Amino acid sequence: MNGRIIAFCCEHSAYPAADLAGRLRLSYSGDVRIIRVPCAGQVDVIHMLKALEKGAGAVLVVGCEDGACHHITGNTRAEERVRHCHTLLDEARIAGDRVAMYNISPNAPHRFVRVADEMVKTMEQTREAR
Amino acid sequence: MNERIGVFLCNCGGGMKNIDFDTLGAKLGHVPGVTFVEPMSNLCLAEGRDRMISRIGEDNPDRVVVAGCSPEFQERLFRRALHEAGLNGQLLSMANIREQCSWVHDGDVTAKAVELVKMAVNRVRLLQPLEKEELPVRREVLVVGGGFSAIGAALELSRIGLPVTVVTREVSLDGSGEPQEDFHGCDINAMRSAVETDPGISVLTSARVVATRGEVGDFTVAITREGDETCGRYGAIVLATGYETGTCLAPGLNSRAENEPIGEASIVSQEQLSQMLRSPITVSRPGTIAFVFDFCDENSRFPTLATLSNALAAREKWESEVYVLCKDVKVDSEGAEHLYREARECGVVFLKCEDVPRITRANGRVTIEARDVYLGEETAVSCDLLVAEELRSPAGGTQTLSSLLGVRLDSRGFYQDENVHLYPVSSEKKGVFTIGECRGDLDVGRVLTDISSVVMSVCQLVSPGKIEAELERVHADPQKCVACLTCVRVCPHGAIRLSRVENGKEIAVISDLACDACGVCAAICPAKAIQFEGYRDDQILAQIEAIGEA
Repeated sequence: MNGRIIAFCCEHSAYPAADLAGRLRLSYSGDVRIIRVPCAGQVDVIHMLKALEKGAGAVLVVGCEDGACHHITGNTRAEERVRHCHTLLDEARIAGDRVAMYNISPNAPHRFVRVADEMVKTMEQTREAR
Repeated sequence: MNERIGVFLCNCGGGMKNIDFDTLGAKLGHVPGVTFVEPMSNLCLAEGRDRMISRIGEDNPDRVVVAGCSPEFQERLFRRALHEAGLNGQLLSMANIREQCSWVHDGDVTAKAVELVKMAVNRVRLLQPLEKEELPVRREVLVVGGGFSAIGAALELSRIGLPVTVVTREVSLDGSGEPQEDFHGCDINAMRSAVETDPGISVLTSARVVATRGEVGDFTVAITREGDETCGRYGAIVLATGYETGTCLAPGLNSRAENEPIGEASIVSQEQLSQMLRSPITVSRPGTIAFVFDFCDENSRFPTLATLSNALAAREKWESEVYVLCKDVKVDSEGAEHLYREARECGVVFLKCEDVPRITRANGRVTIEARDVYLGEETAVSCDLLVAEELRSPAGGTQTLSSLLGVRLDSRGFYQDENVHLYPVSSEKKGVFTIGECRGDLDVGRVLTDISSVVMSVCQLVSPGKIEAELERVHADPQKCVACLTCVRVCPHGAIRLSRVENGKEIAVISDLACDACGVCAAICPAKAIQFEGYRDDQILAQIEAIGEA
């Protein structure tokens, strides 16, 4: 599981954006594993932590753009949970930036690729720093 | 652990060249619980689905994994196929090995594909069947508003056989007070008479919505009319409450009074100019006319169209000199670009200015001063008639309706679309729709589209008189629920209520019809009493387990 990036992608924004990236034949790291969720607000801290516990290199939560959450406040809740996750990770002295939240529109495949690439870079930097 | 999982691997007609399907099939065959792995070529086509149904009949799996394209495409189709084959449609999990694997990585991706299918297998092991039931839904539709959008929607809804009630706080329909013959190509007088004489439409004027209860399929709405309160029950509600105009002129520069003759330096509204242009009586024509728009309010589709057509008409009918001052001419409405070109060819002068022009009145003329962006210097236009910029704001009462119905407003106070691209006329409350100018910056073409869209949506929702709903997809465990009300407060769609169950205990009950399946309640429940079938904690964690097992 080393080096895998688990991405929880909401079905209204991130998942279609990733699909669009596929249809446009864009390219990102093969280490990304996408898990489809109905809303970023459904992703719980336990899901993020379990992924890290299993050895994931990084965890992404990707939801709708600010103010555009299909379920109104799902993305805000996700952000709060990611922040809480950072607090827990800091206490356990694990690099907090291995868990991150991003916002995206369903018609932004290039942004999806950028997000994936950024996370790969962060993950590599964290690994070097260890 | 005695599941029988059938796996279908679709290669989408050969569109995934960098996956070795033989290896993929072989590796999956070893996974515990997998009964068979069937490679397919085009699972979504008729032959593919027939083959799927017969294979299920032959080998009797109790759940199915489909690996191929994105579930966003064909998940519903495959669920129906499972149903036809005698399995519950919920017992399906899809692995996206196309858009999110084969098509985004160079080189061989078989290893990743294996992991993705294993994730789907792990998930499908834990899926539970869901029962469906047809729940009754009322066919009556309530339309709130009395303007063009409300009238248009009421007519179309009645035409498809739905009983419609129109509620407007004005004394009559199309509350502009003045009958208009030609509303942008639609004969609004004829439309209004059609509504008033249609036996399927009941019109309540001078009436207001004061309270609502219930959910999609059965809203109870209290309406007050001249002191009397009546209650109606409706399957869907359409808000078409329109907008109000205000001026953004500095105080002291008031518009022309109703009957003031032109000839004096006048500042008028677009509507007043339109009337002057339409009037058959020869009026003394203004020598120079100026239009100002797009400064105070950049959401200017309607003002743009009005300005362009009035400017053109003034040139053609009166041969006046016409100047238009604006920040930009936004021509994204249908026909706008053509109008703009025609206006310029006809001699209308467009001046692009950055800042709000300064308007003064003196010596029988109105003077507008502004900085011309292209010349890079100050210009002044002196005219007989100025058409001032108007601000469009939500109709009074929008705030009240919004809180009564639990429907949000956007940052400008207009109704918030559920999704700007995908569901423009829906609100976040199932069964409540918004159309027309009360949504914000529209033009007549878009209003007509709104009307068609809402008629389709409402028809789909209520016309059959029943909706097939999945029962208890999201459901609170009565043993664990402590009625803390967190989920009730958090649900973005207002779909959760406290209700008494058999043993007298009060627990959270999630409406099968109103629930929009976001899962926020499940994530936030402090007692983990709510589980969301398909995305339960164990079902998500099982997918994570499958990652990294090579």
